[in-house]
Amino acid sequence: MSSEAQDKSGVSRRDFLNIAAFGAAIVSALGMLAGMFRMFKANVHYEESLKFKIGKPETFPSGMSRKIDDKNLFVLSDEGGIYAITAICQHLGCTVFATEWGYQCPCHGSRYDKDGNVIGGPAPRALPWYEITQGADGNLIVDASKEVAKGTKYKFS
Amino acid sequence: MQSRFYLSLMLISGLVLLMFMAFAGYRELAPEWKKYQKEYKELLVKGAKDENAKKMAKNFSVELQQLYLGDLKRVDRCTSCHIGYDNPAMANAKLPFKQHSGDYLKNHSVEKYGCTICHYGQGRAPEKDEAHAAIKATAHAAGAGAQEKQARKAAPTGEEHKVHWDFPIIPVQYIQSSCSQCHDSEFLKNKGGGKVVKGEEFFREKGCKGCHKLNSIGGDLGKALDGVGSQPIAYFPMKDVAGERNTYSWHKQHFVDPRNLVPESEMKVNVTEEEADFLATYVLSLRAEEVPKKYRRIRDIAPAAAPDGEALYKMYCIGCHTTGKESMYDEIFRRTIPSIKNPAFLKAVDDKYIKTVVTEGRAGTQMTSWKTTAAGLTEQEVDKIVSYVANDRPKDKPELFDVTKYKADTKRGEDIYKVRCALCHGKKGEGALGINLRNPVVQNADLQFLAMTARDGRANTPMPPFGKKGVGLSDQDLLDVVSYVKTLSKAKK
Repeated sequence: MSSEAQDKSGVSRRDFLNIAAFGAAIVSALGMLAGMFRMFKANVHYEESLKFKIGKPETFPSGMSRKIDDKNLFVLSDEGGIYAITAICQHLGCTVFATEWGYQCPCHGSRYDKDGNVIGGPAPRALPWYEITQGADGNLIVDASKEVAKGTKYKFS
Repeated sequence: MQSRFYLSLMLISGLVLLMFMAFAGYRELAPEWKKYQKEYKELLVKGAKDENAKKMAKNFSVELQQLYLGDLKRVDRCTSCHIGYDNPAMANAKLPFKQHSGDYLKNHSVEKYGCTICHYGQGRAPEKDEAHAAIKATAHAAGAGAQEKQARKAAPTGEEHKVHWDFPIIPVQYIQSSCSQCHDSEFLKNKGGGKVVKGEEFFREKGCKGCHKLNSIGGDLGKALDGVGSQPIAYFPMKDVAGERNTYSWHKQHFVDPRNLVPESEMKVNVTEEEADFLATYVLSLRAEEVPKKYRRIRDIAPAAAPDGEALYKMYCIGCHTTGKESMYDEIFRRTIPSIKNPAFLKAVDDKYIKTVVTEGRAGTQMTSWKTTAAGLTEQEVDKIVSYVANDRPKDKPELFDVTKYKADTKRGEDIYKVRCALCHGKKGEGALGINLRNPVVQNADLQFLAMTARDGRANTPMPPFGKKGVGLSDQDLLDVVSYVKTLSKAKK
């Protein structure tokens, strides 16, 4: 770092160095901050996937209703198509059971009609319906993280 | 001046940091699986037959796939790259998109079983190198040629240990070792598990348990084999393994040539390349951990009939004694393995003697004690083996030797021994071509038996008859020499 270089460089060069140095520091600090926020959103969680296969469409002929116990889910089928309603009571999370008129929760007496609408008890909201898609191997896939509007029924070939 | 120095330092470190960040950001935003899934999506769109399928293909969301298998305590992310595993349209696609071969997934849904329960590998790793954890040997191709071995020693490479994982992905030739975690051999025989069943058969018939314990039954020359299939790499000397250096290659190559991998090994094997494959598959199926009960399909089949004498002989004896018809000098054991089905031997000994040898073993030799508290055979099993060995005994009774007729002179016996016996049995009876005469069974045998052996020799072995019909020693000479032999245990080596 000779004094000659300093003479020639003048003020503008020093400014450039200033700006570049602080700029690089600030940009990398911001970048790291952004990276930290990225950490809050995990790619996957250590838990069972909310998306799961329930079988081929032909195993759900019109008029059938089946409870999938380990997934707490009712899968029903009528002329309109196949649809999935949760079996988890919206009050405190007990598992409801099917009755002649709809669904009954054994814990605090919440009652739902056949479409999952609340007709009695402490339940604050209706039982949600879930999205059903068809996988590449023909199996139906329920995605319990995606609620769909009541009455959404799916037709599959 | 100083501020300029610090400014430059700040600039340089800022730029280095930026570089690292850009790299980290790139790794985060463009992981390997994302590349594959995008390619898969293109394949789907290209292969779509109608509008509906095309729409579905376009809706395919690129995201990390995970199979959470709580019961198996596993998390498998293999399907992030092997995304077409269940798509029949991908039957002929290239890897990793190819559909799973066969119809195995029909009864083993991926959601319940995952991948690594059969295939091993590191299920959580979303990158190929780490997930497969295949340890490639870079300096040489697979194969166990001596020339290669030399070449490898001359030019060792440091790149072979790219990723270390105790259970790298299992090569497809040994994959059947995973089936027997849940299925019995009766089932596997006809349902695609033939290799492991064959391996089990060989294991029984090549006498492996003569030296190796399994479920605490078997000899003790070799290592116990319980759980050997899930022993990690660190348990095996990998220095001379050719090809991929993992336990799978090790087992196979160890069956082909044990001393190539473990120079001090005394293991006796004589198998073809194919048989080595079967045996390796079987050995790899001997795992330490058990899958949960609800996964297992081992049926309650009627226990197979208890093995007969011949089967037991094959299981425990054939490894060393082979057919038992001939005695031979064994290069590995550095001693003669006696022929136990030799008629001349059987003629001289009764069942009780054979049984004593089998139950007590021969101290100082490789012959193990086979009693229940040692190698773990029951008395009935020993009896079966003894009667199988003895069924070649000739009908005619041996000519007895009356030891009371003569008075033994061990001093004279020693002189005769030095001339007649020391060449084969060693100067002090320590054994060479002939058996070790200092071992307890010989030392505890009665004089009559020893004298008869010396007199009649052992046909089909190097031991000639020393009596009048052979070498020509008198009965007095014979008695003297065997009396001397009986003193050998007291003599110094």
